[in-house]
Formats: sequence, C-alpha cells, structure tokens
Amino acid sequence: MLELDAVTKRFGGLTAVREVSLRAGPGEIVGIIGPNGAGKTTLFNVISGFFAPDEGRVLLDGRDVSRMPAHEICALGLCRTFQIVKPFGNLSVEDNVMIGALTRLTSVSAAREEARRVVALCRLEPFAASAARSLPIGLRKRLEVARALATRPRLLLLDEVMAGLNATELGEMITLIRSLHGEGVGLIIIEHIMAAMMRLAQRIVVLHHGEKIAEGTPESIASDRRVVDAYLGEEFVLADA
Amino acid sequence: MRRHALAVGFFGAAALTPLVIHDGFFLDSLVLILMWGAVSGAWNVAGGYAGQVSLGHSAFFGIGAYSAALMATRLHASPWLGMLAGAVVATAAGLVIGYLSNRLKGPYFALATIAFSQVLLIVASRWRAFTAGSEGVPVPFRPGFWTLGFASKVSWVYLVLCLALAIYLVQVYLERSRIGYQLAGVREDEDAAQALGIPSRRLKVRAIAASAALTSVCGTLWAQYVGFVDPFYVFSVDLSVRFALNAIIGGVGTAMGPFVGSLLITSLETTLRAVFSDIRGGLVGIYLIIYGCLLIVVVRLIPQGLVGWFGQRIRAARRYARA
Repeated sequence: MLELDAVTKRFGGLTAVREVSLRAGPGEIVGIIGPNGAGKTTLFNVISGFFAPDEGRVLLDGRDVSRMPAHEICALGLCRTFQIVKPFGNLSVEDNVMIGALTRLTSVSAAREEARRVVALCRLEPFAASAARSLPIGLRKRLEVARALATRPRLLLLDEVMAGLNATELGEMITLIRSLHGEGVGLIIIEHIMAAMMRLAQRIVVLHHGEKIAEGTPESIASDRRVVDAYLGEEFVLADA
Repeated sequence: MRRHALAVGFFGAAALTPLVIHDGFFLDSLVLILMWGAVSGAWNVAGGYAGQVSLGHSAFFGIGAYSAALMATRLHASPWLGMLAGAVVATAAGLVIGYLSNRLKGPYFALATIAFSQVLLIVASRWRAFTAGSEGVPVPFRPGFWTLGFASKVSWVYLVLCLALAIYLVQVYLERSRIGYQLAGVREDEDAAQALGIPSRRLKVRAIAASAALTSVCGTLWAQYVGFVDPFYVFSVDLSVRFALNAIIGGVGTAMGPFVGSLLITSLETTLRAVFSDIRGGLVGIYLIIYGCLLIVVVRLIPQGLVGWFGQRIRAARRYARA
C-alpha cells in the first residue's frame, strides 16, 4: 500500500509537484493523466527514490521511504519503468531480464530460469538472445516492463509503456497488464492513451501544473469539467458521448 | 570448455615456450607480455566489467611496487608480506577514490583518476624521508622463493603466468556471477540498474577496490622482477594509458582481451624499439606514433576490441552453419 502525503518537489523556482496526496491500495490499478509537464514523471521519480521530496512524505506499507535510495525501494517491492526506455543495450534481452531477477534471487541459474519465465510471459521469447538495442520501440517498452517484473514487485509504476505502440502491441500490453493485475500486482500507470486508461484504471488521478485537480472513477473523470478544460478537450467529451 | 579455448591456447603456449626457447631477450618479452596483460586484466575489473574507465591505475601499480620495495629495504620484510601490505593500501586507496569519484562519469571519472595518480607521484618523488624521493628505490636481490629473488627468467615466466591465470579467472568469475551481471547493468545504464534494485554506488566502489588490489599485486611482482622502483615510471600516466590500451585493443570487458591486447602491443613495442634503436635521436619515439595510429584504427573500426570482434564473427559463423 502506497501513500503520498502532501508531496512537493521543486527544481529551483519551478514547483514540479505541489502538495500531491495519493493512495494506491494493494492490487489496485491507479491511472495518472495530465498534460505534458504536469509533473507525472517527477512524481514517479519521487515515489521510486530518484528524487527526495522537498516537503511531504512517501509511505510504503506505513514506512517512510521519502529519503530511501531507489535500489532499497525496489527491494521493498516497488519497481518502476522509464518513459524514455533505458535498456541495457549491449546485453541480450534475457540477460536484461535476468539482472532484474537477480535482485530477489542470489543464484544465477535460478535467476536465469526466472528470466525465461518472465520473457515468455511478456512474449519476448523470439528475441531472448538478441541485443536489447536491436529491438524496435514497441518491444523495448515490453522489455522495460519485463525487467521490472523480474524484480517481483508488489507495486509496479508504468511510465507511458503504451506510447508509440501499434494497435496489436497495444492490445498485448493491455492483456499483460490485466494478467499482472489478476496476479495481485498493484499498478500505477501514467498514460496519454485515454482509451487504454479508461479500460484499465480503477481510479484516475489528474495532475495539472504539478497539482492534483481531480480524482475519481474513469467515468467521473471523463465528465469532469476541470479535466476536460485542462487536458481532455471538448472533442473527447463529444467523441465519448 | 569451448569458451576457454583461447585462454588454453594462449596460456598453454606461454607455459611451453620456456621449454623450447632459452633466449633471454625473448623470455623477458614473454614475462612483460604476461605482466602487462595481467595488469590490464586487473584494470578490466573496474574499467571493463564495471565501466569505470580509469586512466590513473598506475597509482595502484606504484603502491604495490613501493610497498614491497620499501618494506624489503627498510624492514627486511619478505616481498610477499610487502605484496599483502600493498594490496591492503591499494584497496583502501581504491575505496577512497571510488567513494570520492562516485558520481563522476566517463571522462570526468578518468580525469579524477589521473589526478589521483599524479598526487601519488608528487608524494613519492618529494617525500624523501619516506620514499627516497626522485632517485627511486633499488629493490634488494636476495635469492630464494620467500624473498622473490629468481636469477632465472624461466622462474619469472611461470610466476607471472600464475598471476595472469589468477586474474583471468577473476574476470571469468565476473562474467558469470551475480555481482558481474549487476555490474554489467550499472555499466550499461546506472539509473535503470538502481531502479531494478542494484546498489550501484556500492558495487562500483567494490569493483574499483578489487581492481586496485589486483593491480597492486602486479606492481609488487614487477618491481621485484625489474629490481628498481622509479616514481616517474610507476606513477606515470603513460603506464596508466598502457593498462587501459591493452584492454581496449584486445576487447574491453572480455576476459582474454587484456592478454591479446598485451601480446600485440608489448611485442609490437619491443620489435619497433629494436628496429628503430639505431636511427637518429629525433626518431626514437616513432614507435609511439605507430602505437597511436593503431589505437585510432582499432577504436574507429572495431570498438569492441579484437576478442569481441572475433567472438561476434565466430558466433555469426555458427549461426550461419546451423541455418
């Protein structure tokens, strides 16, 4: 269970995230939407330990992890992906995933087995031996998820893993996220593809200029006046209607 | 076994050579090839596997050379004890520089390591009471195994061969162990590694410290072999560059790369020096120019190094044969 208590993050004079409070229960899918520059990725960086918040606290299962380094937060069961994917380019897809698995498993052979399982789960088998840098963007996004999954997170933060995917890939990604949810993994998802978000999220949080302007079920968000003005636009309401 | 084929061939040939060839000059070259290969292998632990490209590894080499030489002259201690002391001091130095330069990447890290080696050069050449200053330290020759005094070059070949093998095995371990894979992650992308639960800072410091200790052990043996420690040589940037160069030309992050690089560079240097030994004074440094050209060619055309390049070709050929 993740709790953000009035988290603020500033860069010099710019307040990227202002007093954002948020909860994500175990096994829940929470969506975060908002225009570019709204502070979504900064929020992920604060939660996952890459930035310490200037004010407020991040609690994981009641424990204050605000100043904890990223690798320790991962060990506690919270793992994140990067919007701009960061594959270990010169290593094979399987080795990429195995490095994630080695966080929980000390034996290389056990981690290798786990990596094969996760690679299969994410349908990356045909590319298991390919160098990660040779993959097209859609597969790189999937590798990003696979690698994070291999650390066996209870809570997974996905930063725009659907951006740039074609329709087939998008469908596969949604299936994968649903199956993770079915296994009890909690998810916080940043995404611009509203169609996917409406289908996946149980609750959506809207950020605008670093502040939370709305929170609620996908239906209530889609009809929220402030959200339509700040982010979705009139076309979305018309198309939806 | 197949993945060790190159190592078996290389070290096997080195082991058999003294049985066939008794020429002193040739055996001396063999000792140097193995020695510089071993130091580059030690460099590779940090520079190759952990991606911490240092151009100041002569600092650790010098620490090993000085520790044993000073302990032998001042305390009449065995060079083996000096080797141990050197490794301890180098580990500490590696921890300090690893910790201080932890956030530095790429060229900035390399510059920090150069600065570190130059600080040690100044200390060693100026602190006369402690190190005998810029005149250097002659290493006393006392025959015997315990005192590391071997008159025969053949003994040195086998001793340095053992060192080279040990460092080869350390690298092989790094290719297959948990920490080795985690270091590869840190090398490829540190942010991603941290997000996946890898304590990257700690692992980098450990890799540098281990690399420093191994480099220091090489330094001790080298000083005992040559019989003299000159601060301007053991702490030189030239030497640091040589350590990095062998590994880069042979193949960074491959266990045999440093040895293949050393075979090429050391024998080339020896040959060129001999060939150009009786030309006019102005041209004595010409081997350095050839050296430099070779480096440019390798880095431009095969950045993965000779071992890396051949490895790829062999794997591609096998795939082709199967298909």
